[in-house]
Amino acid sequence: MKRLPARPGEWIRRDEVVRFTFEGQARLGFAGDTITSALLAAGDAILGRSFKYHRPRGPLSAANHDANLVMQVDLGDRTTPNVRADVARIQAGAVVHAVNTHGGVRSDRGALTGFFAPFLPVGFYYKAFHGKRLFPLWERVFRSMTGLGRVDLAAPQRTTPKRYDFVDVLVVGAGPSGLSAALTAALAGASVLLIDENMQLGGSGQYVRHSPDRVERINRLVDAANSHPRIRTLCDAVAVGYYADHWVAVDTPRSLVKVRARSVIVAQGGFEQPVVFRGNDLPGVMLAGAAQRLLARYAVAPASRVVILTANEHGYAAALDAIDAGIHVEAILDLRATPGPASRELASDPRLVGVHLATGVQPYEASSGAGGRVASLAFRTAAAPGRLHKIAIDGVWMSVGFAPAQSLLHQAGTVMRYERSIEQFLPQTLPKGLFACGKANGRYGFDARLADGERAGAQAAAGLGFGADVAPVSIAGEECPSHEYPIFPHPKGKEFVDFDEDIQIRDYENAVQEGFDSSELLKRYTTSGMGPSQGKHSNMNALRILARIRGEGLEQHALTTARPMFHPVLMSHLAGRGFQPERRTPIDAEHTTLGAVWMPAGNWRRPEYYAVEGKSRSEAIAAELRSVRTGVGLIDVGTLGKVEAHGPCAGEFLDRVYTGRFSNLKVGMTRYGLMLDEAGVVIDDGVIGRLRAESFYFTTTTGNSGTLFREFGRLATTWRLPVGLVNLTGHYAAFNLAGPKSREMLRSLTTLDVSEDAFPYLALREGAVAGVPCRLMRVGFVGELGFELHVPADYAVTVWRALLQAGRAHGIRPFGVEAQRLLRLEKGHMIIGQDTDATTTALEINAPWAIKMDKPFFIGQRSLQALARTPRHLSLVGFRLPPGTAGRVKEAHLVIHDGEISGRVTSVGHSPTLEYGIGLALVDPKVADSGLLSIRVGRTEMVEAAVTALPFYDPDSQRQRSGSSP
Amino acid sequence: MFTVPDRLKPTYDVVIIGAGGHGLAAAYYLARDHGIHNVAVLERGYIGGGNTGRNTTIIRSNYLTPEGVKFYDESVRLWQDLAQDFDLNLFYSTRGHFTLAHTDASMRTMRWRAEVNKHYGVDSEVVDAQEVQRAVPMMDIRCGGHSPPVLGALYHAPGAIARHDAVAWGYGRGADRRGVEIHQNTEVLSIDTEECESGRAVVGVTTNRGRISTRKVLCAVAGSTPGMLKMVGLSSPIYIHPLQAMVSEPVKPWLDPVIVSGSLHVYVSQSARGELVMGASLDPYELHSTRSTLDFVESLSAHMLELFPFLSDVRVMRQWAGMADMTPDFSPIMGLTPVAGFYIDAGWGTWGFKATPVCGKTMSHTVATNRTHPLIDAFGYDRFSRFELTGEKGAASVGH
Amino acid sequence: MKILVCPINGPRSISEFAYGGEIRPMPDPATTSDGDWARYVFNRSGVAGVKLEWWCHTASGVWFVAERDTATDTVLQTYLYDAAGRS
Repeated sequence: MKRLPARPGEWIRRDEVVRFTFEGQARLGFAGDTITSALLAAGDAILGRSFKYHRPRGPLSAANHDANLVMQVDLGDRTTPNVRADVARIQAGAVVHAVNTHGGVRSDRGALTGFFAPFLPVGFYYKAFHGKRLFPLWERVFRSMTGLGRVDLAAPQRTTPKRYDFVDVLVVGAGPSGLSAALTAALAGASVLLIDENMQLGGSGQYVRHSPDRVERINRLVDAANSHPRIRTLCDAVAVGYYADHWVAVDTPRSLVKVRARSVIVAQGGFEQPVVFRGNDLPGVMLAGAAQRLLARYAVAPASRVVILTANEHGYAAALDAIDAGIHVEAILDLRATPGPASRELASDPRLVGVHLATGVQPYEASSGAGGRVASLAFRTAAAPGRLHKIAIDGVWMSVGFAPAQSLLHQAGTVMRYERSIEQFLPQTLPKGLFACGKANGRYGFDARLADGERAGAQAAAGLGFGADVAPVSIAGEECPSHEYPIFPHPKGKEFVDFDEDIQIRDYENAVQEGFDSSELLKRYTTSGMGPSQGKHSNMNALRILARIRGEGLEQHALTTARPMFHPVLMSHLAGRGFQPERRTPIDAEHTTLGAVWMPAGNWRRPEYYAVEGKSRSEAIAAELRSVRTGVGLIDVGTLGKVEAHGPCAGEFLDRVYTGRFSNLKVGMTRYGLMLDEAGVVIDDGVIGRLRAESFYFTTTTGNSGTLFREFGRLATTWRLPVGLVNLTGHYAAFNLAGPKSREMLRSLTTLDVSEDAFPYLALREGAVAGVPCRLMRVGFVGELGFELHVPADYAVTVWRALLQAGRAHGIRPFGVEAQRLLRLEKGHMIIGQDTDATTTALEINAPWAIKMDKPFFIGQRSLQALARTPRHLSLVGFRLPPGTAGRVKEAHLVIHDGEISGRVTSVGHSPTLEYGIGLALVDPKVADSGLLSIRVGRTEMVEAAVTALPFYDPDSQRQRSGSSP
Repeated sequence: MFTVPDRLKPTYDVVIIGAGGHGLAAAYYLARDHGIHNVAVLERGYIGGGNTGRNTTIIRSNYLTPEGVKFYDESVRLWQDLAQDFDLNLFYSTRGHFTLAHTDASMRTMRWRAEVNKHYGVDSEVVDAQEVQRAVPMMDIRCGGHSPPVLGALYHAPGAIARHDAVAWGYGRGADRRGVEIHQNTEVLSIDTEECESGRAVVGVTTNRGRISTRKVLCAVAGSTPGMLKMVGLSSPIYIHPLQAMVSEPVKPWLDPVIVSGSLHVYVSQSARGELVMGASLDPYELHSTRSTLDFVESLSAHMLELFPFLSDVRVMRQWAGMADMTPDFSPIMGLTPVAGFYIDAGWGTWGFKATPVCGKTMSHTVATNRTHPLIDAFGYDRFSRFELTGEKGAASVGH
Repeated sequence: MKILVCPINGPRSISEFAYGGEIRPMPDPATTSDGDWARYVFNRSGVAGVKLEWWCHTASGVWFVAERDTATDTVLQTYLYDAAGRS
């Protein structure tokens, strides 16, 4: 309503005027103002509209819970949805609009739904518009009304680095109890991080100002906390979630801070709760704490004549704060028949002389005047229930009780109990290292909160070995802070329990009548507590209503499960920088220079092919393939997993891991290794070489390399086999030099004898290539004479360049993954994960030569024995396509037999070498035996492919064995 | 909507354990289609409080195996008429469903699913990156350059979302009106069996509210199945991992279809209220608890922003978790068991919600006739002991 | 984030660890029936309770045993597989 003269401790800076607009009109405030405080100071009453009925709303809590005062804020070219006016500070030049209005906050056409409100009770949506044809139409209308703020779909991503913090004791909340807990723990010797969601420390100690003595004490505590060497303080910081082992997510204006504490003290206070009566949502009706915050922090008087609706000492304190600010208190209306001792003491304060005090008050309704603001309050008293009193006011401040801020305690697994003497839930059993104090622990008196904070601080410190434990603080003798049932039904309704979702008393009654009679069901049916403020103002009253309808005490009920987030958190804060590691081989830059077109391969990127100017993708790939078949090609296979196994049991280890036999492998030779899981499913393959009697070197597939190396370690541990395993995946680069001219070319770079006799097919040799120590293996994956070279990563570029240089005379070309896939397809070699899937067993891939069933044991062996006694499911076979069909058959096309699915194509391509289409398919063995596969390539279109023996190319594998032509 | 019976009767024809969507659907169809009304549904907590109320409400039938496709297609068909059957709005909203592929291996899997789907008349097709971009123009198909870009997607037009709680309530009310008793806060302490010709047979159930006798027990307690099986002396492949989800504050509608990316571990849709409902993959280790983790919201948010960078200023409001019954072949375990009169509807992994109607149909048939409904033949309890796994896991095959 | 104690590297955030599943003694393949073998391969003791599990500290490759209550996620103790003749 108006800005007060400068007040001690205010958070605004009057020397800095901030100009912005609200709903198209110019407004100004001071630096430090929230949108709410600036608008109130400017005389605005209606700051937002409710979600469902579009009712005009003003501030309720001014504590980040005002879900009806949600703004769209445009600043420069950035628009931000769902900005909470009660805590967001004004910014110069900001353009502010209330969200979810149709035509502005003052004349919201959406308020028509308010007119229809009697016809839109909770559950209405479930019962209407569900006709099959009606719903989609209605849904379109509904969706245009729904949602809060608007997202700018063109906005760029904002990245915020996260921070980490480690501390002995984290104190959440820097009100009286949190301050005293932090100081006590620090004095005992613990390091302390004290955080508060507000801009400054002090909490209610700072904004409840009627007692100069208390304000002075709080200021001293704040100074002490700010200057203590073992206390770090962090304001504007919300503990949004408690996670296992005291891992607390703290959201700050700029980023997320992840705090690992050894102990956590929750001193978050309590959420003041509204009185439920007709018109309790009118602008001007607010929680007393909200008014006190606005007065103390922003020097804004939210009313000029108020009535205080109370049921505890805090309402009387608010009356004193009002009077100190020059606000006229028309009356203090106490719901209780007899105010408690603390209330009576405050009532006798000279400042309240002459203020009308009524007890046993039953509020009846608040009514609005011009501009939609509250103008009067009507009430009855228990003494004269027949008589309706009406007071003209422009503000109703409510202080009838609290819901302790126990969300973090709940998340941590605290067991709560309901305590009658304070009408509140209290922690009964706290997890180890977790403490609660102050209002969150049921202590509401000022001195009791300070003492309880000391107790919690001492206990937390003692638990970590600092200082001595102390006894708990009793709550006996305290005035009950909460009314047991501040809920007053009105024949015409509009008594709001949940402001986020516009839920009234009768909505709960109806829901319970419908059978939704537990707190969880009630919440889900009414959506009570599911709005942006997550029930901070409604859960407690909803539970009181439920308990009363069921004729039970609150002892028999529990609040619904509290989950993170305590306040909603920006996705950009949670995401942080979005770190996604990508692995690159040591010659990654070489590929780029050569024109590589990249593709992802596990965590790596690999060249799919090398682009050639003037040539299409398939032409470039065919050229790469031809150079391997006719000359020489070079491919980077450095992404393969590379492992050494050492020790006398290394051979036995490999015998157990792989299906083949390796204990009898000759030194200097390699063998194909196939790996299964326990169910007999094919999971990996590679080449295994024997370096020395007790040393093996072997490869795994790219995607599995990390997990398999780990699994090798587990297997060795399980089998108690002393095997030394070394992961050399990153240590070695690896290239495959393949083609009929590879030997000749290699000869120019090495002193090693690479002749067929000295270095036969499948042999393993060590020697220098281009002056670099190198492991060489004669391999045949692509079906030509070939050498796989493994070189230390640091020398990879040297060797790669030397190979390309030496090969220039032979027309060497680098080739990519696509050409390699075609090359191996011509050879009929399967790729695990492409030609097999997560269910393909070793019996289905037609590789009996690789599986030594006569070994004592290998993983999957026993399952293969069992599977051999069941009908065989599928069979991996080769097929040849009729001319002109290769482009139409795609991988994953189905093989159809008698109208049923009998398999699928796993690999297919046009063989440039054979000049016809070839492929592999996993099919029903009976269908494979028929010799013809009907492949569906369109809705009805089929291609008939002939089952063909493998390999398609060089059936006797002469080329890879000796390098000679077939 | 429900009556709240005050006591258990001494005898029921069928006892259903678990008042989630599946248990209530079975009760509903037992009463409606099979004339069995003397049925008790026992629930340890409250109606729909398990995974029915915790999932991200996606409904689709674009599975990989013939068995899966036929089963879920029937479910989608049943969903269409459910609201009218119930006289209750389920907010069933057909949105279309994109499963994004970021690698050529995953494009192959998408085509495989599309081909199988089409074979059974299910509307699925592979679309390329440009078509994805046209349908969801605000998506960054380059994934911010942090992850492999979107190469294409499996588009499944019938993909839908619904209001999950309402499904349980609709079946509950329908069952209730037909005489089925729903007993909440009723915990099963033991399932009593006795020797019979074929081994053992169910004779009753002991609860925290007393013992009841019955010859037929249907166990529909996803997330708690192993404990129930233990009561009748059965073991199973089912293991429990938590599955988490999160929801944003409401924003004005901007996202129509359901978007799923296996590579980024993201699925997201926008609810009728304007909230973004988001999920990711399973938690990495066994846990019988619905606790939340920070890692989950951190990594899901990071991946969400890769696809939708403009959501930086949108706030996550709440996170939660459910417990998922996992099986080795990613298919459910349904039907008869070696214990006569003990039926299970379990192993739902992360996807039981969409199957709610068809599970009710098939399980009620199975319980009423003591014969496995043909649609769930492939999902039998004993398939593992014969190495006859369904191939649904094939869709998760490793990519290179 | 949960903390797990590696017997070699001490307490670490659980993001540094990989879960290896419950430790399940393998029956003798030679004397086990097909059905029992299938049950070993596929079945799990899915009931909540204290289990002996494999965990690996991924940065160092240390595999160890954790006794963990799968209902509460409480780790009772961790030790190397061969330590003190256990497991």
